[in-house]
Amino acid sequence: MSGEGSAVDGESTVGGEAARGRSTDRSPIGWLLDAKLVTVALGSLAVVAAAGLVQVSFGAYSMTVGQAWRAVLDPAVLLDPRWLLNFVVGEELMRAITGFHGELPELTSETLIVWNIRLPRVLVGVLVGANLAVSGAIFQAVTRNELASPFILGVSSGAGLAILLTLVVFGSLSAFLPLIAAFGGSMAFLIVYAIAWKNGTSPVRLVLAGVIVGTVFGSLQTALFFFADDIGVVQSAIAWTTGSLTGTDWEQVRLALPWTLVAVTLSVAGSRQLNLLLLGEGTAKSLGMSIEKVRFALSGVAVLAAAASIAVAGIVGFVGLIVPHMVRNLVGSDYKRLIVGCLFVGPALMVGADVGARLGMSVITGADAQVPVGIVTGLVGGPYFLYLMRKQQHMGEI
Amino acid sequence: MDGVEPTRTDGSIDESDESAAAGRVDDGNGGTGDASDLGGEGLVLGYPNAEEPVVDGESIAAEPGAVTALVGPNGSGKSTLLKGLANQLAPEAGSVVLDGRDVHAMDTKALARKLGLLSQESTSPNGITVEDLVYHGRYPHRGFFERTTEEDVSAVERAVELAGCDHLRDREVGSLSGGQKQLAWIAMVLAQDTDVLLLDEPTTFLDLHHQMEVMEIIETLRDESDVTVVVVLHDIEQAARLADRMVALKDGEIRARGPPEAVVTEELLADVFRVDAEVVATDRGPRVTPIRARHGK
Repeated sequence: MSGEGSAVDGESTVGGEAARGRSTDRSPIGWLLDAKLVTVALGSLAVVAAAGLVQVSFGAYSMTVGQAWRAVLDPAVLLDPRWLLNFVVGEELMRAITGFHGELPELTSETLIVWNIRLPRVLVGVLVGANLAVSGAIFQAVTRNELASPFILGVSSGAGLAILLTLVVFGSLSAFLPLIAAFGGSMAFLIVYAIAWKNGTSPVRLVLAGVIVGTVFGSLQTALFFFADDIGVVQSAIAWTTGSLTGTDWEQVRLALPWTLVAVTLSVAGSRQLNLLLLGEGTAKSLGMSIEKVRFALSGVAVLAAAASIAVAGIVGFVGLIVPHMVRNLVGSDYKRLIVGCLFVGPALMVGADVGARLGMSVITGADAQVPVGIVTGLVGGPYFLYLMRKQQHMGEI
Repeated sequence: MDGVEPTRTDGSIDESDESAAAGRVDDGNGGTGDASDLGGEGLVLGYPNAEEPVVDGESIAAEPGAVTALVGPNGSGKSTLLKGLANQLAPEAGSVVLDGRDVHAMDTKALARKLGLLSQESTSPNGITVEDLVYHGRYPHRGFFERTTEEDVSAVERAVELAGCDHLRDREVGSLSGGQKQLAWIAMVLAQDTDVLLLDEPTTFLDLHHQMEVMEIIETLRDESDVTVVVVLHDIEQAARLADRMVALKDGEIRARGPPEAVVTEELLADVFRVDAEVVATDRGPRVTPIRARHGK
């Protein structure tokens, strides 16, 4: 070390200058201009745009890509706030806001199909993907485990049980299924927390409690399948518990959007706490973090995000597990960048997978059938995980 | 919260206090007499799963503005005592008082602004740079939505310089050697800019060069600032050279305390460390030459 003294000195001056130059990067948005993050964001946007275009172009009513583009960018909608509001917030609210009582101007059938049916499905995919990715990223920090998913603390099993109970036992409540599913997931999370609590929690105890609750609720859920006497009910239950975007429209966008905004804002705001959690409980504590409060609050944000996606798409697996992984490999483990990266990569994966779910069967077998998107994410996610496992020496602890 | 912080003798409150601390590090004369007081009274410390407490009813006072070294054999309770002082371990009985306030009753962030702890085992995620790590030391000084301030930047610069890891700042912590990692972690607790610093075996497992680097950092703190340092050290010679006061523990009991020359004696080495050794006084403190281990009681 002493032999390289002069070299070290020379380096340190350079380092010092670089640091002074870089300290401006600690400004509120400087870190967003990270080259890798920008690349990831642009790449993901390209995937979403391409997959979205495929989604709006193909289907039972066929149109060319050019027609689809024109329908998406139809000035009759984009430049008419009444139509825009009609789609985004619903007709009633649109009339309340604009005070417009007449008939809306006519749209071409291409535009109607794209805006009414195909585009909202893409948007729901974007919201679900972003929610699941952010939720997974948070849970991976909270449990300090790379293999954590949004569903690690019992959320999926609670939601699944609630879905089965509603469909099989309380059929009259099925109109409220989205809310009941999200509620069931949140309840399971609280039960997990209560089980794990013993003078405070620890990542390991939380994960174990999640396994316990998952096992019991999973069994109950399977048991309920036996009481389903209608094949329609079973199919509906499977669609919900594997996650599906079939039939989603603007109503789902309206349902998920506000919660998504809340969850995303809170998770970006909490990114510094997430970074500190990664340093370990001891360090976080000695730096003055109230670790139990922060852990519970952040888990709550993650459950909110997961619940928002469950309410509109059911339990879509693997997205929340692999997206934070991919983003971590691309932009590093700093949570500010990681969360922002997840907001782009999550939607890209989700919208891309939904192309396979919606159109895959008709390409492969020619049958006009859709599969739940959760099946596609599982088919994509499994091999990706295998690849990661082979490539990385250490999997598990972040 | 800041409003109820105890004011210092110069009358400044917490915020301006940091710049005062900054001044103290640079002014080079030290000893202005406003160092923090940390002491434990009748401490009973143990772990939830163990029946017997590790430390059973001990009192300890850290010399304000000086370096206090805790020494003792493995399992003597040095680290446990330090954790108790840092409020990482709640005492079963007794209390830890920092500048007249019970640390257990203090807000965690307020405590972390006054007391820093470097633990023995520190894990960091991959892909975090040294500079990012050091910035984490500013956590207790920032509100939930607060951004990096000039003060944060200057505290980090000071800490990085003092810890001598300027040339490492863009390196990833995971890629550093054990010694370099330790310097990075020390820079992080220095950036915390506290009046009291507790270090748990900061030199263990380091090569000689990095041991000396760490020792020099602590010497600088002792000579040029009013930081009250409590350090657990394995090496009794190192402790004697570094510390103003030493506390020797065995089986969770304090067996001796006082200036190094009074504590590091052949009798104490026989009693506490169970070795026959020769102790010779030199200009650099007592020199200890262990001769043989004592067997039996």
